Amino acid sequence: MAVTTLWDVAYFLSSGLLGVLAHILPPLAWLLTNPNLVWLLSALLFGAILLGASMINTIMLIWFERKMLGRFMDRRGAMHVGYAGLLQNFADGLKLFRKNTFKPREADDLGFYGGPTAYMVTSLLMFGVLPISSGWSDGALPLSMLLALVIFSFAPLFIFISAWSSNNKYSLMGGMRSAAQMIAYEVPILLAVVAVVLVAGTFDLNQIVLEQQNYWFWGPLFLALLVFSIGMLAEMERIPFDLPEAEAELVEGWNTEYGGMLFAFFMLADYLRALAGSILIVLLFLGGWTLPTYVPAVATSLPLAGIIWFMVKTYLVFGVFVWIRAALPRVRTDQLLRIGWMRLIPLSLVAVVLAAALVLVKCLPVFGCVPSMGG
Amino acid sequence: MAAEIEKKQNPSAESPTGAVLKPLATAARQFARSLIRPSTILYPFERLEDPKFRSEVAVESGRPIGVGEVWDNYRGVHALNVNTCISCNLCAFSCPDLCIEMVTVPGGDPKHPKKCPQIDYGKCSYCGFCSDACPEGCLTMTTKYELSTPNRKDMVYSPQKMFEQFQRKLPMNPIRLERPANEDAILLDAPLCIGCNACARDCPTNCITMLDIPKEAPKPGEKAAKRIWKEPVVNDSDCVRCGTCISVCPKECLFWGTHS
Ligand code: SF4
Ligand code: SF4
Ligand code: SF4
Repeated sequence: MAVTTLWDVAYFLSSGLLGVLAHILPPLAWLLTNPNLVWLLSALLFGAILLGASMINTIMLIWFERKMLGRFMDRRGAMHVGYAGLLQNFADGLKLFRKNTFKPREADDLGFYGGPTAYMVTSLLMFGVLPISSGWSDGALPLSMLLALVIFSFAPLFIFISAWSSNNKYSLMGGMRSAAQMIAYEVPILLAVVAVVLVAGTFDLNQIVLEQQNYWFWGPLFLALLVFSIGMLAEMERIPFDLPEAEAELVEGWNTEYGGMLFAFFMLADYLRALAGSILIVLLFLGGWTLPTYVPAVATSLPLAGIIWFMVKTYLVFGVFVWIRAALPRVRTDQLLRIGWMRLIPLSLVAVVLAAALVLVKCLPVFGCVPSMGG
Repeated sequence: MAAEIEKKQNPSAESPTGAVLKPLATAARQFARSLIRPSTILYPFERLEDPKFRSEVAVESGRPIGVGEVWDNYRGVHALNVNTCISCNLCAFSCPDLCIEMVTVPGGDPKHPKKCPQIDYGKCSYCGFCSDACPEGCLTMTTKYELSTPNRKDMVYSPQKMFEQFQRKLPMNPIRLERPANEDAILLDAPLCIGCNACARDCPTNCITMLDIPKEAPKPGEKAAKRIWKEPVVNDSDCVRCGTCISVCPKECLFWGTHS
């Protein structure tokens, strides 16, 4: 049986597992070979594989950032747990897991506990939509990119809920800033995406990647890439746009009152979003898992070559974000909003016009021709 | 408005090269430089004292340092030579963090118990004022820097403990300020002196002697004073310029000055 998609992997595993079980327990064979049960177990396995992959990648991302930031600051970063500190984040996670979760006296229960959980869950949901390679999901979502962006923009709501219900002025201010910032940067991001959609002619992330088989979109749509990356920086609340968490003025912003596992939720969800943002950039502008033509066919035909190539690009994109974090200071609120409304939105409109022009011209001297205009 | 002010304060803030590209380039250069080998060492596992780092550090400081040393002017734990300490109190007096307490050590006579400094490293800021002030040079700072302990009481170093540092001959910090040369003598504002003997009693080097001073003759019609007036005379060669006499004088008649 040729394993082509992640779903096939999950199905193969679950049917194999249940088959073995049925062999061991013949009296239950009628139940264990029931196709509905096989389907249910494979759905669970599918989810578990996705969860595991995204979690491990997120934790590796934190390690990657710590090591890179260390070099930017002329030090080594985490070194002691595991080889070169690879397991340090797992140790930190274990520590946070063991810590007591406390709640300020006047805080609202539902919002205080529900906010972080919903934030975490929506951040994880993203990974059900984002394809990592051609065989990742079944590709039956014609509007998968829109869905991904919608899930991505849930965050300010839950941040605001948890900030408001923790009954702390710093949390509330952080939550307000977070909401203002994310709404300001939602518009240019969507406009930049419109440019991509114009050229690719589809909302399906799989299709968008396939359209980049000939050339990646970052060249002709460079302006859109710029706007999208800056917007993503703001959406991920990373330096220089980490105003909602500005330690110098707001203690820890919207997660001031959180400790223990709830803080770990916020932390993980932040990096999940950073991972999802980097993946989105790779998908929309950097060709996804399509290998460039100069890579020898031997390497292309290797199993998982697409996924590995994709992850390398994702980590490089995240590396650029870390570089920006190491180099730039935090901007002020007024600067932040000015950059969003007065610089990025006009720029993204220009990007849309350029994309439309590209569709009309169809061919560019250096980059080649626009592929088939979608469906 | 804010934009104008900002433009005035930082003309490059508006240009993308000044505000974004330059810091990015700086950070990239730093990253490339420390990618092979960052300047930071993994402290508890690697130490600057390690011969491995000696050559590297020597280039930086311009002077080779020996095994077991860190920077030659590092201000670490103090070393105290209890034998030469004259109990002048100057170290405690100059300490900005009030972490020096003068405690009795064996060796003094019953009337004048010998007191030496005891330092609480929980408060010490390693400013080095005390060793600058010590007239005998018996309180110095060594290059020892590891004094973490789980017990707060262990941070208090008794004179004996600091004497051990001295006996271990740890490298001493050679930096010591000199007293300003122009104000090195104890002068007396004689008309104010009441001859109370306080300065002579407290002088750690016993260099003050109270000499009989003939007071001016009684005015006509007054009875001659019966008391013998005494005034302190300081033996300059023995004086260590600790200033104790100045601080104990009840009439504030002693002061720093020059003989000329
Ligand atoms: S080094 Fe400074 S703070 Fe420490 S004991 Fe000496 S005078 Fe006090
Ligand atoms: S300043 Fe020096 S001589 Fe005076 S008490 Fe302190 S250690 Fe002793
Ligand atoms: S300064 Fe005064 S107390 Fe100190 S040694 Fe000189 S005379 Fe004695």
